[in-house]
Amino acid sequence: MSRVFISLLLAFAAAPAFGQGSVNVYNWSDYIAEDQLKSFTKDTGIRVNYTTYDSNEILDAKLRTGKSGYDVVVPTASPFFVRQLTAGLYRPLDKAKLKNWNNLDPEILVALAKYDPGNTHGIPWMWGTTGIGYNVAEIRKRLPDAPVDSLSMIFDPAVVSKFKDCGVMVLDSATDVFPAALKYLGLDPDSKKPDDLVKAADVVKAVRPFIRKFHSSEYINALAGGNICLAFGFSGDVFQARDRAAKAKDKQDIAYAIPKEGSLLWIDVAAIPKDAPNPANALRFLDFMLDPKVAAASSELTGYANGNKAAFALLPKDISSNPLIYPPADVRAKFYTITAGTPEQTRERTRLWTAVKTGR
Amino acid sequence: MDRREDGPVSGPIVRIEGLTKRFGAVTAVDDVDLEVAPGELFALLGGSGCGKTTLLRLLAGFETPDAGRLLIDGQDMTGVPPHLRPVNMMFQSYALFPHMNVAENVGYGLRREGVAKAEATTRVADALEQVRLTEYAQRRPAQLSGGQRQRVALARALVKRPKILLLDEPLAALDRKLREGTRFELVRLQAELGLTFVMVTHDQQEAMSMATRLAVMNAGRIVQVGSPREVYERPATRFVADFIGVANILKTEDGWLALRPEKIALSVERSGLANVVAGKIVDLAYEGDRSLYRIATDGAVLIVSTAPNLAHRRGDSVWLGWAADAGHPLDA
Amino acid sequence: MRFVIALPFLWLGVFFLLPFALVLAIALGTNAPDSVPPVELGIGLKNFALLFTDDLYLAAWLTSLRVATTSTLVALLLGYPMAYAIARAAPERRPLLLMLVVLPFWTSFLIRVYAWMGLLDENGLLNQFLRWSGIATDPGTILGTEWAVHLGIVYAYLPFMVLPLYATLEKMDMSLLEAAADLGARPFAAFLTITLPLSLPGVVAGCLLVFIPAVGEFVIPDLLGGTETLMIGKVLWDEFFTNADWPLASAVAICLLALLVGPIALFQRQQARSLERH
Repeated sequence: MSRVFISLLLAFAAAPAFGQGSVNVYNWSDYIAEDQLKSFTKDTGIRVNYTTYDSNEILDAKLRTGKSGYDVVVPTASPFFVRQLTAGLYRPLDKAKLKNWNNLDPEILVALAKYDPGNTHGIPWMWGTTGIGYNVAEIRKRLPDAPVDSLSMIFDPAVVSKFKDCGVMVLDSATDVFPAALKYLGLDPDSKKPDDLVKAADVVKAVRPFIRKFHSSEYINALAGGNICLAFGFSGDVFQARDRAAKAKDKQDIAYAIPKEGSLLWIDVAAIPKDAPNPANALRFLDFMLDPKVAAASSELTGYANGNKAAFALLPKDISSNPLIYPPADVRAKFYTITAGTPEQTRERTRLWTAVKTGR
Repeated sequence: MDRREDGPVSGPIVRIEGLTKRFGAVTAVDDVDLEVAPGELFALLGGSGCGKTTLLRLLAGFETPDAGRLLIDGQDMTGVPPHLRPVNMMFQSYALFPHMNVAENVGYGLRREGVAKAEATTRVADALEQVRLTEYAQRRPAQLSGGQRQRVALARALVKRPKILLLDEPLAALDRKLREGTRFELVRLQAELGLTFVMVTHDQQEAMSMATRLAVMNAGRIVQVGSPREVYERPATRFVADFIGVANILKTEDGWLALRPEKIALSVERSGLANVVAGKIVDLAYEGDRSLYRIATDGAVLIVSTAPNLAHRRGDSVWLGWAADAGHPLDA
Repeated sequence: MRFVIALPFLWLGVFFLLPFALVLAIALGTNAPDSVPPVELGIGLKNFALLFTDDLYLAAWLTSLRVATTSTLVALLLGYPMAYAIARAAPERRPLLLMLVVLPFWTSFLIRVYAWMGLLDENGLLNQFLRWSGIATDPGTILGTEWAVHLGIVYAYLPFMVLPLYATLEKMDMSLLEAAADLGARPFAAFLTITLPLSLPGVVAGCLLVFIPAVGEFVIPDLLGGTETLMIGKVLWDEFFTNADWPLASAVAICLLALLVGPIALFQRQQARSLERH
């Protein structure tokens, strides 16, 4: 009873219009080719109420409040989707109704299965890596033989200290940086052992003096504007920075490298919230997303790899043959993902992270 | 040793030469010359906008003149800011500091002067005693009546022992009954202290009853200066005659003549006075201490004031008469 | 008529008391990550206990208080002369000056903070100017430091300081200053003894209006500050979003409110006192 009370009052999300013949999609902005949406409506007669967000946190809060009114949402697998899944926020997929399911890339499905065992609740949409974004000229000027494709760019004090003056930013995310630091140490990136985490924290502590800021989005503008020369961030964000820099007046050459030690794979997952008002339409929409044409068009729009194997052949060459978007097998082999952990582990990790980055 | 005894005994305490102050297109004070002698209770009298308040503010230093000189006790005040002038002012609004109690208000000027604490305490106590506010020392201005506030303002100015006390409409904010008593109290204080008071008022009765001398102002200029009696008996202009008290202003062959109502005798029979004229009572008012009449004569309606008399009725035909020297010829 | 009187109470009840009761209820509950919403209601103080025993939270509180206090003082030092100048300007010019103070509100708060990023960046306008003019060849970067946080807060909340100060200074009776001058006070002494004490209600109101939002500020330290400036707003964010621990986040919010009730009560008392005075 009291729970109903709370959710009622916490429903700060203005729920989109419900009704038969519609589907309420809540997606990242610029994340699906919108002309495809029209053809979906034409083919199925289902109206698409398409709204966008630009942070996982907003989506997370809405879902946890309950009665979000959305039929399809696209959270990032770790740490959001997995946590929401544990909280029972998603409806299992009726794969029999997803006739395009077999278009999915088995490799990505396996990676995603770490969060969603048996791939029962979500389909991979776009994916990418976590790695090193850098300003080619500035890095070369300071360290001509800089190990740009290694985590030592970020975690070796001897290396990263060279770039302190031109600016270094690192994701403000314990779930991305600690695994990378563990990988750098040669430990299991998914380790939840307190000892291991303390070791990872020590690595970050050692390089903290050389890092201008820990932030999860600011580095895009900062890299593009030449205000920093090195960032540890998401592939897609660095690409955005690169494209923005190329359009700017004084062109900065921004590059991205996947760490050779291995990269944390990020996957954005399309899923149906448990209380979706139009679950049947949601399934039809997911099946539409699984259409190779739709996936390929969306990859063209975003510049990200998609989880749709059948779409690969439809992609323009500059995307499909770009090793930073679709890395070769030996690089893919070193991708890793991490599991969610208990709330206590999450709290401890967040606390440790806060302590490290504030220098305590 | 009082400061007021130090100054030169002879010579004016205030000397104003050709003083002019303009606000935009308006000349508030227009080429004024004036002298005030030490120990005078001098009133600046005039209607609103006549420049009397501006003249007072020029004395205090709140306004800077556009032309002319102003000397206080022989010293040129040009460029001397208010806080260095040997004058203090009692504001029309009293301008008491709301965040200080009575004693703090009164002691404020002494603290600014750097008077030693013990001496200041004594002087504040004396000043409060002078205005009978000793038991109100700890009250805030908001907790006082209008009359009490006025006395705080007075004490606050007096405690500084100024060479001149400036009073801006000192009685205007009081109710009628209180005004009478306060009028006498101010005069008593002034006499007791032997201090020079310069007071601004729009109320001719107030000026007449209090001042040793007064200046009547009109349109930025001083029209006449003199003792109340002089100004009343021998007004220089029609404006003064009209402004001070009530006057019948008659046109004669030589010019204008002011005739005060009480100088006219009223009788049923024709009197033997130098000037006689017949008339009819238009209006009459019995005011207890006197009776007032409006009497229509051949040329004009005259106002007459006599000892209380209930014998006359409206419409009665009467004779008016006045002595040869009863009227006062006017300049303009 | 009765309805009109009830309206503010209704407003307070619906938009403050009810949400507050809700947040308090959540704060007393337990984190339940597997339910919707993720709260198990109950009566427990362990969320509050954690806030006061973990030195990281204490450090965040102290940083927030320190940053808010310094920013408030700087805003006061800047805002007072501004408010004073406006209040003493010619009456026909005051509306224009006031509008200039309020004008920044016409632009989104976020855009203005982003603009500061553009100014204070390594290659921002400020550094470009310093390099171009030859004042400094390697000026360093203000963005990402606590200086930038202070600057941002002072900039963003300065109007909240200026407006109440202006209101008290403007209604001040100028004859009080003349009286002070007449009694021998130099202009500065008159300011200290008359203007300043009489403008105290405005000072207190302005300081509260700056201090209260500054303590809980999240956006400015996030965008302009560095990582080492850990403020309580960030802790709240982390608890709510990163840890998805709504009860603890609510406990932080309740403490924030409790912390601010003190100064507000003080202000109320001061207001009441000045009312009885005038």
